[in-house]
Amino acid sequence: MTTSTELVASVEIAHEARTERIPPGSSEGPVLRVVPGDVVRVAALLGRDPRLAPPMALGALAGGASLVGLVGTHDGRTLVERAELLRDAHPDLVVVLAPDRGDASAMVELAEALRLGCEHQRPLPHIIVSADERVRDRIAASCPANPIELSPDVRTAAGREALVARLRAVRRRAQADVVLRDEALEAAARAMAAGAKADVVLLDVTGGATSVIHARPDGIVLGIHERLGVGAAADRVVARAGLGRVRRWIPRAVEAPALLERIFNRARWPDAIPASVLALSLEMALAREAIAHTLADAERAGVSLEAAWAAPLLVLTGRLAQLPRAAQSLLVAIDVFGATGPTLVSRSSGDTLVAAGALAARGRVATMPPAEPIAIVAEMWPRRSATVRVTDASGVVTERVGRGSFLLIPTTGAVEIVMPGTTVRPSAEHLELGVVIDARGRPLVLPPRDAERIPTLARWNAALDVLPAEAR
Amino acid sequence: MAWLYRRHSADHPLALGASERVAEGREVHAGDVLAAGTTYGTPLKIAGARRLGVVPADLARVMRVRVGGEVERRTVVARTGRRFARAVSSPIAGRVIHQRADGDLHIAPIVGRWIVRSTLDGEVTRSDDACVTVEGSAWALQGVAAFGPDAIGEVSLAVDAPDDELQPSRIDVRMQGRILIGGARATAESITRAHACGVAAVVAGAAPASGLSVVYGEAATASGAVTGPDAPTVLCLIGFGVAPLPREVFMPLVALSGARAAVHTASARLFVFAPEDAGDFARNAPSLALANDWLGARPMDEHLSQSGVTRFPSEIEAEAFATSDGPVPVANVLAFDAPRTPRA
Repeated sequence: MTTSTELVASVEIAHEARTERIPPGSSEGPVLRVVPGDVVRVAALLGRDPRLAPPMALGALAGGASLVGLVGTHDGRTLVERAELLRDAHPDLVVVLAPDRGDASAMVELAEALRLGCEHQRPLPHIIVSADERVRDRIAASCPANPIELSPDVRTAAGREALVARLRAVRRRAQADVVLRDEALEAAARAMAAGAKADVVLLDVTGGATSVIHARPDGIVLGIHERLGVGAAADRVVARAGLGRVRRWIPRAVEAPALLERIFNRARWPDAIPASVLALSLEMALAREAIAHTLADAERAGVSLEAAWAAPLLVLTGRLAQLPRAAQSLLVAIDVFGATGPTLVSRSSGDTLVAAGALAARGRVATMPPAEPIAIVAEMWPRRSATVRVTDASGVVTERVGRGSFLLIPTTGAVEIVMPGTTVRPSAEHLELGVVIDARGRPLVLPPRDAERIPTLARWNAALDVLPAEAR
Repeated sequence: MAWLYRRHSADHPLALGASERVAEGREVHAGDVLAAGTTYGTPLKIAGARRLGVVPADLARVMRVRVGGEVERRTVVARTGRRFARAVSSPIAGRVIHQRADGDLHIAPIVGRWIVRSTLDGEVTRSDDACVTVEGSAWALQGVAAFGPDAIGEVSLAVDAPDDELQPSRIDVRMQGRILIGGARATAESITRAHACGVAAVVAGAAPASGLSVVYGEAATASGAVTGPDAPTVLCLIGFGVAPLPREVFMPLVALSGARAAVHTASARLFVFAPEDAGDFARNAPSLALANDWLGARPMDEHLSQSGVTRFPSEIEAEAFATSDGPVPVANVLAFDAPRTPRA
């Protein structure tokens, strides 16, 4: 249920080619629009400190921008190479990160390369300078035509927030009645964490983007938003991961060339539906790799995911939550999100959570609609066979778990689990599927050969009854 | 509407190092050189304003060779004074590529040359070192993705029917410089053979994505890939895999066979330079349906009937169209000219 104290009659959520209105149906009155936002291309000019690149990458990921070029004072490139790189990158924004006074002369070289490469670009890229005062003046002298803005140090939380706000303003095209999807999801995650008084991780996979958001009950939220998806950005997933890594998740023998044709067709067919089981399996495979690479990018950008892995609540949204079976959403999430403790996995299959998040992002009072709890996932890697006891309305079920086990214990009504080696007793009022014991180990290893890989995947799929009979 | 005759605009981005460009307002034809330039080796920085004893803003006044000009070794680039002259000369042969804010100059050796040709008959509406834009009238067909460099040539049919596959055996050196129309699918073999025979471009309903990845490497995505002049040019009109062309798209290509045409790769468009009254081409093309397993696309019947909410083998329930081959999700049916790029 979404309630608003202000004059917003409905929230309109844009997908690839269509829009959904919450509440459904046409309505009179002001409409708040939720959009994915423009693609913003960011290039970075970095000082000599090699530790500057990760905070810059994190700023771009948090702001949902594409980092199209990193040019450093000590990268060994010539003026021409730097200028060509920046010209081909066609950046909308250029961030200068040079906190050291000694970087001033070297940064001028980069600024001259920027002018040589992008002098005639229309519109000229804005330059955001997060640097010593001397550096700012010399960059302004080298690039007199470019609009220059000052920013706090991007390595600090305040600097990153300022950069994210700037990037989002560009992605919104300065429209007033628009909330970006990632902003809405961050607000929703923050509200859910506050409501549950526990850490929440929200995984959102759409056609064009993937978001991993970690919200803490004290209101601190870190969102990573990557242009990888299961639709328009499906070809970017292949470009990043390689076709082989996508193909390995398909639980049947499938030729790589035909798989690539399917992915390219999907990328150019906005909001297409996977009508066949194979297309559905492909969408699930793309979602896995999109999440995996978003998490990997976050780690490369210096984000510690330990707290996120340990979050007791995992919420799935977007296309990931709209898969026909809850088990499909669940398996995709737990295959790539390596939780370190018991996790309650829920999904919000409609757009109501995004709508509520959009209202919350605008400072309006909104109650988050409850997500549907799918399962409690207990990940473990026991040294020797261990006993897990699950209590639900039907009684007590005891399971012996060894390394490699992967099983679902269906439950009815209220559920409580007793696991070895921990005093935590995860519980839930109701679960759509039940309790999943995952002792496959992390990182998940898939056999390289089809003859071993397909039976392994088939076993995991069968354990949760993931795919319709045709695909088995 | 698949075919459209109207005024189109085509951008021609330029690489670094443009040395000559056509002026704004000039009339050009497809194939005319719009700009020429050079590629650079490792540049050298030489003292400019400091050496001459002038402020950087005054350096342009005393330069003998403007920025962008070619120089030989020991050419005097800038000079000041009469009796006690000070001069800056080039230590290498090349081009003066850049004047820095502090008045120093960069000179780089020339290691290659490039040219950019127009893909439209029309008027130059923008011309600067980043881009030359040409606007002009032509028949045009919008594709979903194009690969390779821009191409100019005559339209030439290489298939008998819109659902035929382009066979390598139909391609020979007599087709040099032509833009081949290839029906439902241009195979990797036919693209390779066409390139070897000097064919300007291959246009087809679809092409194999894996073949394109082999030819164009990592640059090839579903949106296409703009490359240097040594690669073949391929325009996919509908998608990837197999996609028979609708008759409303194919028959005008038959009628326009022999006409001058161009493929503008960056925007994935085929321009055909024929008069507006060349034929009744501007007709509504049938909608296109993506295969249920996403392995290709096909034109739909003219009159589609909805079969209501249908449960597909994937267990997804969605509104569907009834077809002779079974239900097709409404979401997987697009107009030929529907935008294929999601809205921001």
